[in-house]
Amino acid sequence: MERMGFLEIFLGDKRYMYILKGLGFSLEVTIISALIGLFLGIVMALLKISHCYPFRKLAKKGYIKLAKFNPLSGLAVIYIDLIRGTPAVVQLMILANVVFVGALRDIPILLVAGLAFGLNSGAYVAEIIRAGIEGLDKGQMEAARSLGLTYPLAMIQIIIPQAIKNILPTLVSEFIILLKETSIVGFIGGVDLLRSANIITSQTYRGVEPLLTVGVIYLILTGIFTYFMRIVERRMKASD
Amino acid sequence: MIKIENLYKSFGELEVLKGIDEHIKEGEVVAVIGPSGSGKSTFLRCINLLEKPTKGKISIDGEEITNEKININGIREKVGMVFQHFNLFPHKNVLENLTLAPIKVRKMTKEDAEKLAFELLGKVGLKEKAYEYPNKLSGGQKQRIAIARALAMKPEIILFDEPTSALDPEMVKEVLDVIKELAIEGLTMMVVTHEMGFAREVATRLFFMDEGKILEQGDPKKIFDNPKEERTKEFFSKIL
Repeated sequence: MERMGFLEIFLGDKRYMYILKGLGFSLEVTIISALIGLFLGIVMALLKISHCYPFRKLAKKGYIKLAKFNPLSGLAVIYIDLIRGTPAVVQLMILANVVFVGALRDIPILLVAGLAFGLNSGAYVAEIIRAGIEGLDKGQMEAARSLGLTYPLAMIQIIIPQAIKNILPTLVSEFIILLKETSIVGFIGGVDLLRSANIITSQTYRGVEPLLTVGVIYLILTGIFTYFMRIVERRMKASD
Repeated sequence: MIKIENLYKSFGELEVLKGIDEHIKEGEVVAVIGPSGSGKSTFLRCINLLEKPTKGKISIDGEEITNEKININGIREKVGMVFQHFNLFPHKNVLENLTLAPIKVRKMTKEDAEKLAFELLGKVGLKEKAYEYPNKLSGGQKQRIAIARALAMKPEIILFDEPTSALDPEMVKEVLDVIKELAIEGLTMMVVTHEMGFAREVATRLFFMDEGKILEQGDPKKIFDNPKEERTKEFFSKIL
């Protein structure tokens, strides 16, 4: 058989469509999971640093441990440790093969994957946000409170704007990690960028070119985000 | 005006305040001096509940602020605080630093708050810095802005927590001059300080604290010239 040309690999039978569709799927999963992750991350970070001690009155009766128990923070810690302590592939497969079965079987892979990566990313985002808030000078909160601002008002006006500024670069890099991580979605049958390369390989018996192409596409995508991140970082430095 | 009864504060095992009883009247300027670790700052921070007393009562204008049900933010509107490290809000310019609490807490209109802010900036001699960001200011300027920010809430008393300790020596005077002027105007204040000259000249009353108690108190000049307690004598002999 004559050796297939580079263009023929992708243009023949419109095989480039696999790449385009895969790219679209990868981006969709990334965006869905980034939104879920950001939302979960903010909620979990706020829970983790919350001061909710429903049993604090028991301290006077000697139940010191119980008085210091913070159920909201505990919940966030369990979630974060669970997610960060297990591989994303395992979480993805558990969600697809253990949770989304039976009546839930027909839920599209896009949503299952989005949820899996969103749950995963949320734990990392929560830690980024928490570190951003706790990294601020304690005096900022004290100054705000001493002026009579309520805790929520101090958070909104003083703490969160400064925290966001500090964590934005880290958040963008978490987004980049997320984009790359979605390449494991093939494990549950999602046809993403990487999987599309496999499909082209199986049709053309050519393994190198599709994989390299996919690699280059990932590189371009992450390059774009990194570029924007650098611009944002430079702007922030300028206003410091 | 401020009544402190049997005030105790512990941080875990460490007992920092060991029973303070004092009454501070309107118009008094109280200087609090003493060796480091004697509980001066903690004492001050208890008065606007930045630290929660472990035991004892504090009342301001007859209102018991150590009561669990009290609106803590309402109290803090009445009690201004100036910190050692200024704690200006770095993401807001000078004018916004001054107007934030009056607008958000006192519900003043923006125009009124800005008018008041310019008045106060005039008072501390920094009108021309209204649109600068804090990082463009010197330490002395920052502290004068912080004083103006506290004044913008029209507090009944201002607590100064080592207001000149973080300043370069040549900037101490400009800050002390502002505080002195407020004292002359009759503002009630408590100043934790290491500036003995200031304590002697400006204060109407002096507290000497050691090991969580007010060991000696009274007319500053008398105490400086003729300390009664051995510990006070020893302290003066080391620093004067």
